[in-house]
Amino acid sequence: MITISLNTLVLLSTALFAIGFLGVLLRKNTLIIYMSLEIMLVAAILALVVFSRFNGTMDGNVFVFFILTVAAAEVAVGLAIIVALFRKRVTIEVDELNALKH
Amino acid sequence: MSVELLQAAADSNRWGAIIPEVSLGCLALLLLVLEMALPRRAHRLIPAVAIVGQLALLVGVLACFNAPYLGTETFNGLLVHTRDGQFMRVFFLLASLLVSLLGAVSLARRQLPRIEFFHIVLVVSAAMMLLAQSNHFVMLFVALETVTVGFYILVSYFRASPLSLEAGLKYLITGALSSGLLLFGIVLLYGVAGNPLLVGSTESGMHFGHLQTFLAANPDHFLASLGIVLVLCGVCFKIGAFPFQIWIPDVYQGAPTPVTAFLAVASKAAGFAILLTLVHTAFAPYAGLVVPTLTVLAALTLIFGNLAALTQHNVKRLIGLSGVSHAGFLLLGVVASLHAGSAASAIGAVQFYLAVYLLASFAVFGVMTQLAPAEDATQELDHYRGLAKRQPFLAFVLAVGLGSLAGIPPLAGFVGKLAIFINAFDAQLYVLLGIAILGVVVSIYYYFGWIRVAFFGESTESETAAATPREGGDGQPCCGCCVTRFVLGLLAAATLVLGFYQGGLGEWFFSR
Repeated sequence: MITISLNTLVLLSTALFAIGFLGVLLRKNTLIIYMSLEIMLVAAILALVVFSRFNGTMDGNVFVFFILTVAAAEVAVGLAIIVALFRKRVTIEVDELNALKH
Repeated sequence: MSVELLQAAADSNRWGAIIPEVSLGCLALLLLVLEMALPRRAHRLIPAVAIVGQLALLVGVLACFNAPYLGTETFNGLLVHTRDGQFMRVFFLLASLLVSLLGAVSLARRQLPRIEFFHIVLVVSAAMMLLAQSNHFVMLFVALETVTVGFYILVSYFRASPLSLEAGLKYLITGALSSGLLLFGIVLLYGVAGNPLLVGSTESGMHFGHLQTFLAANPDHFLASLGIVLVLCGVCFKIGAFPFQIWIPDVYQGAPTPVTAFLAVASKAAGFAILLTLVHTAFAPYAGLVVPTLTVLAALTLIFGNLAALTQHNVKRLIGLSGVSHAGFLLLGVVASLHAGSAASAIGAVQFYLAVYLLASFAVFGVMTQLAPAEDATQELDHYRGLAKRQPFLAFVLAVGLGSLAGIPPLAGFVGKLAIFINAFDAQLYVLLGIAILGVVVSIYYYFGWIRVAFFGESTESETAAATPREGGDGQPCCGCCVTRFVLGLLAAATLVLGFYQGGLGEWFFSR
């Protein structure tokens, strides 16, 4: 059996988090940005499970369920907003969604 | 886990301590039930039910203000009940009450589902009340997300308007980004605090008290510092402190006016409530990291908020960016509370500032709601030209509210700013104090620009014609607008009276 060290796993989740964060900042398509946000949440979940496993406490595993529930609610509301906006504006590129300027 | 442990955990569930939150949630559900049960003609009564219910709850919380459970932890350490928590409860109830009132005025003019608005406002304020009393990161995260997801819906509530939806999308992206940062910070702290190889490692690393003990035993741990910074970043998004304020102007402009008021007052206050809890309990051992960070943030927030507000012509953007500068003043109070000697009185000053900010902001937002054009996002300064001749009462309320926000001497806002400045002086924050006083001078300029337009601007014929027919609206009974005018008068009167005489209330805030 291959044992993977704590550091490797934490680095992996940090890398995932960084990918998500940069995706939110750099990409221009709303759906891709939304996916990047979910990657950030998944990175946090992965780190939580890893820490929970290596520290021998269950709090982290329980917290994962809360995060999943919250993320599901967020996705439901978020996609509804994106769909409603697409119907009005026929675009989901953030560069073109700039009607709110003084 | 042993049976005794479970027994102890179950015994700490004191449902009596969260009756206000539970009944607020039940009231929210009751509204939906009433919508199904009542005939269509009676639907206009439902907002009244929401408002009366909240009023009753507010009276109940005030009556049981010094409850016996104060100072105890309930629900196995998830919640802690303190005097500050009780104050925030009253604050959020008052805010949601006023938002419901403004919402009733604003929604009466539109063809939109109405009941859901009140439902979500009630759920969000219940979550904010729990948030202010949370003592555990799981509680904090879940309550904060309930607030945030509720706000996504509220911001994009005028779904026929592309501007409202665009604001909703922008709030969605920035809000989810900040939640992600906050969550990763929490995870890092949990991971470090539970590490069995470190001194004082704890099994419940997400409990604020246990985390504080752990952090005190491990100063200058890199991952812990990173976690603290990430959590602070997430909180700063909520309060709109400088590098994280990018969402504020657009979202405030596009959101329906009552929701803008809710965001500006309650969401910001919720951010400050958790910031105060965190820096005084869990992060207290890392003051060497937290204090410089918050000091720099406060300075930048004060400078940016005031300078950016100078050039705005849309009143909702103006009030949003001036809200950023108010976050700066409040951060100054938070920094002062972290210096030895002035902690308790500085927290009192921050709370008094929040209370005064609530009164003045809702006075201004109430006037904005009454005068809002059909497209809610385009409220320009020019719409207020000659307001004093058309609507002298609203112009008076607007002047009192804006004067209090600017901090003009006879009004309550002045006392609030003075209390913060005195505490900052005691904490020897002279540079920050200088920046804050310059900020006040700049803010007087843009607030008085607005007042000048309302009182001395000449109104043109077309604007007068556009402004008048909305009052009668679609045959809406004038009872609602009488109540709103009465409440606006009450807010203005409270702002005036608190400026002259603080009495027992001032004593409650300042001498602790």
